[in-house]
Amino acid sequence: MPRYYIDSSDGNFSHVDSEGVELAGDEAARYLALDALPDMVREVLPDGDRREFAVCVRDQGGRVIYSASLTLTGSWRGES
Amino acid sequence: MAVNGFPGTLQALVTSLSLRDEISADEVALVEGLARRRRFLHRGEELVSQHSQPGESCVVLSGFTAREVVLADGKRQITALHIPGDFVDLHALLLKVMDHSVIALTDCEAAYVPHRELLRAMERSAHLGRLFWLSTVIDGAIQRAWITSSGRRSATAHLGHLICELYRRLAAVGLAEEGRFSFPVAQSELADALGFSLVHVNRTLQDLRATGLVSWKGSLVTILDFEGLARLSQFDPTYLNLVKMPR
Repeated sequence: MPRYYIDSSDGNFSHVDSEGVELAGDEAARYLALDALPDMVREVLPDGDRREFAVCVRDQGGRVIYSASLTLTGSWRGES
Repeated sequence: MAVNGFPGTLQALVTSLSLRDEISADEVALVEGLARRRRFLHRGEELVSQHSQPGESCVVLSGFTAREVVLADGKRQITALHIPGDFVDLHALLLKVMDHSVIALTDCEAAYVPHRELLRAMERSAHLGRLFWLSTVIDGAIQRAWITSSGRRSATAHLGHLICELYRRLAAVGLAEEGRFSFPVAQSELADALGFSLVHVNRTLQDLRATGLVSWKGSLVTILDFEGLARLSQFDPTYLNLVKMPR
């Protein structure tokens, strides 16, 4: 089975995956990457009004084959 | 893979029962005299199956085991970890049908004690019966701590709390000392016990290592500063009841 590396960032703390994980294929790697996003969001929100959460999947050769991000944009809606 | 008729020692169970109260020589003899069958299991094998109706209860003699619930889409939650000396399904004596499975996280040795043997021992010693009851009550206390971690602790505190708990439980039965214990589980199993995604387990491990409170190399977990880790995780060992009291 091919090995994939999933890097992640919550906009403050970045994790570069040096161990990797063996998975059935690209789809499984995408699933695993997206699965991490809600955990990361839950961990740090509410904290500020702008934040980007990102994940990316690298293959065995180090090539980025998939990336995804979630962006928080919050703002007060009062009179300016 | 079953080995029948080979007695095996129930010392792990005696040790475990002695953690929270004095037990008499007669009670030790009753426990050691329990008929049982000994079984060796490979990592990944089931000790007890969901929906089965066991006629015996299983004591772990060596290795790590887990209670698991698997959903239709294959997602799994590990709801409890058991260590040597623990009954993994004493509750089945009363509940009858298993609502979850118990699996071996590492190669294991277990002793299966027929329910009629347990009932006989409890009829001979009401105190021993209460200590068996206590073990299921402690299981419940641990579940409350796990629910609190899952629902309300940060990921780092959740993992830290689990490490504190395992250390205290293992040290109590002589399987951990000087802050160190062996915990040979895969990260995917840790993910299923914590309810985290696999990537989040990695992130959380990195975050915890960065605190300098814990080192985790291969299967060896070393707590470098127990007080600091307990503070970070708000670990209060009261729920483990590792205190000898008349019960």
